[in-house]
Amino acid sequence: MKTRTKWLIAVMAASLVGGFAGQAAAQKSDYYKDKVVNLIIAGSPSGGHSRYARLIAPYLQKHLGASELRISNMRGGGGLKAANHMWRVKPDGMTVAFGNASTLIFAPIAGSKGAKFIATEFAFLGRATSEPRMLMVGGKSSIKTFQDLQKLDRPFIYPSQGTDEDFYTMAILSDALGFKLKAVTGYEGNADTALAVIKGDGDGHITGWSESQAAIKSGDKRPILVVTSQRIPDYPDVPTAIELASAGKRGMLEAMSNILETHRSYYAPPKTNPEAVAAFRAAVDAALNDPALLAESKKGNRPVSFMNGNQQQAAIEQIARESGGLAPVLKAAVKAIQ
Amino acid sequence: MLDAIVGGLVVLLTPQAMAFLLIGVVYGLMIGILPGLGGIVALALLLPFTYGFEVAATLALLLGGHIGTIWGSSVTSILFNVPGAAKSLALCFDGYPMTKRGEATRALGASAMGALLGGVFGAVFLAISIPIVRPIMLALGPSEYLMMAVWGLTIIATFSEGSLLKGMIAAVLGVLIAFIGMDIVTATPRFTFDSEFLMDGVSFPVAMIGMFAIAEMMKLYVKGGAIVDRSVVKETSTVLDGVRDAFRHWGLVMRSSLLGLWIGVLPGVGASVGGLAAYAQAAQTSKNPDQFGKGNVEGVIAPDATLGANEGGGLMPTLAFGIPGGEGMAILLVAFIGLGIVPGPEMLTKNLDLVFSMVWLVVLANLLVTLIGLGVAPYLARLPTLHPNVMVPLVLSVCLIGAFATRGLIEDVIVAVGFGILGYFMDKYHYSRANFVIGMVLATMIERNLHISLTLYGDYFIFTRPVTLAMFVFIIITTALPFIRSRRRRRAQREAISAQRAEGRAT
Repeated sequence: MKTRTKWLIAVMAASLVGGFAGQAAAQKSDYYKDKVVNLIIAGSPSGGHSRYARLIAPYLQKHLGASELRISNMRGGGGLKAANHMWRVKPDGMTVAFGNASTLIFAPIAGSKGAKFIATEFAFLGRATSEPRMLMVGGKSSIKTFQDLQKLDRPFIYPSQGTDEDFYTMAILSDALGFKLKAVTGYEGNADTALAVIKGDGDGHITGWSESQAAIKSGDKRPILVVTSQRIPDYPDVPTAIELASAGKRGMLEAMSNILETHRSYYAPPKTNPEAVAAFRAAVDAALNDPALLAESKKGNRPVSFMNGNQQQAAIEQIARESGGLAPVLKAAVKAIQ
Repeated sequence: MLDAIVGGLVVLLTPQAMAFLLIGVVYGLMIGILPGLGGIVALALLLPFTYGFEVAATLALLLGGHIGTIWGSSVTSILFNVPGAAKSLALCFDGYPMTKRGEATRALGASAMGALLGGVFGAVFLAISIPIVRPIMLALGPSEYLMMAVWGLTIIATFSEGSLLKGMIAAVLGVLIAFIGMDIVTATPRFTFDSEFLMDGVSFPVAMIGMFAIAEMMKLYVKGGAIVDRSVVKETSTVLDGVRDAFRHWGLVMRSSLLGLWIGVLPGVGASVGGLAAYAQAAQTSKNPDQFGKGNVEGVIAPDATLGANEGGGLMPTLAFGIPGGEGMAILLVAFIGLGIVPGPEMLTKNLDLVFSMVWLVVLANLLVTLIGLGVAPYLARLPTLHPNVMVPLVLSVCLIGAFATRGLIEDVIVAVGFGILGYFMDKYHYSRANFVIGMVLATMIERNLHISLTLYGDYFIFTRPVTLAMFVFIIITTALPFIRSRRRRRAQREAISAQRAEGRAT
């Protein structure tokens, strides 16, 4: 109950701050007018981040008033490489990254050697989207519901690419919901792990909801648990992890889903010029509420779910404070595969 | 199914689709010729232009561009020993020696024709195998991928002429280089010396640009004179020679196409392995295996046929499961969703005509590439005769830009130069660069699949998985066969000699 109240206060405070800042930002700034802005996508040209960043780019450029928005991809280390790079970039606001904010929070907690930054010191400029994530099992698997998984007399085999946010999520689920986990790392990518699950080499894996839609429809995969905070209307019978947790473990899962919901976001280096931060946040706000963008996102089946930069900053600071309890679980999971 | 085959073609016969196919192919050829830039870059750059056109035209543009890059990359491998992309590396092994012998036109012709035949055979096999794609994809797993990689290793022997020890040293060096970076199983940094750049490992295309292209230019500079001196070596061949070669080795083309198709179908087995595997297979089944690496046209035909067929295969996991088989396909998938095509098993039943449209596009794009290729080959073949004062700076600058362009990192340029120096000395002291490459490509594949197989199936997985066991036995037999054959031949010779002696004594 205690964490609940804290959360409530945090969210209220955040929205209050957000509201004020939103008004302040409404006075249009000329900070980016006719400048060239570099946008670094933390992921490969074919990945989801790229898809979203490129969808939003024209609108963002328009609302920034920038003469050009130069997009480049920096992949590696599941987004850590771009984050390490952003940590050292000149904080004039002319270089901004777009990537998965949850990786930035998870990796340092787990003590990942690849993370050379402090997540909360980045300037978060707004969330573009947060997609519900689900635990999927293979269509032919004997596991039909999450209860079947809990009754399993052997460890749940989880094919994984390595220590990405889904790996951390899985480790937390296993601890909080009480089932044994065997992570098999070394798979090359989503195609590889998906095939392992469909084939039955592995029991299940976590993906974004849209990514597995086709496989669910054809019966190749079956969703058994939502790992983000709310049930998904298309699958009303699939419970969320938070619902199933005992009172003692619920806080942990709430912290986890809060981290996951920070998802695809814009961020700038620490100590970025406040004028730049305000101007960029305002532009992200305007771009993601632009009716033309919303129409395009709906047409292309790429839903956006905007969160204001100020609000996000406060939320991330709160999340980072609250999620210290996850550290032992994540560190143990990393140790188990080494 | 016949309806779908015809229907798929009819959709494509619009002026817009045909024009887009041509644009895509020409653009792809140009991107392919630049080292370091391949199909993925070509597709990523095309993607923004794909909204708002008819479906067939968009697919024509994308697939045309993707297929154009393949032969474009082969061209530079053959003419300058500069692999245009990692997957066309195998073309360097025999294509470049052919160029040096004055048979550049023949090599280009054979390569273009090989790609076309591979594309066509690949498409035909693809159409036939649509019903069995899903079961086969589900039957093969990490332990079978491991066996494929192990089979790939056997080719080290082919390149270890003179000294097997030197060949092994080169291969092990390649393995060690591949281990630089975050380890794929535990995400522990290996050999990175706390450098953030090294965390992602040494980029394969960059290392190849150095190892082959830069090293070659150093060699040319030291030696003086052009790659091909027309006053000494006359261009003796024509494009038709190459075309004839491809048709003469039709068995090889068939085998290579099948191989390419299935390597494309399996996610987790990349096209760069495909080119090498095709080469290995060609060397092992050839009647003149000792000619490989010295300009055997079979070594040019096989990789190109495999790469031609690979594209069609790569479509399969994308269409059947909605799982992109490679990064190029992942970008195609993005375009599909933009076009409102939902990939999944329904593609192979309800939307079969669309699948055949794509198969036709692969065929038509290959046809266009080959026509253009055969047309320009005689002109391209003149390039290696350029004076080194023009050639060396030109190729070097393109290579360094290519090294930079692969990931946009200046450190990669330094890496390319480092590998250039390494490549130069390896070549000078006869440490096979091909073995180095094989070690580098296969190391990660072996590590990955060995680890997964051990964790999933236990320590004795080779004996508990029937397909794996069969492949293992096959590897042992194909590796042992040449030894057994040569021993039998020697024994027969000895017996013949002693019989003669006995006869001599008797008389």
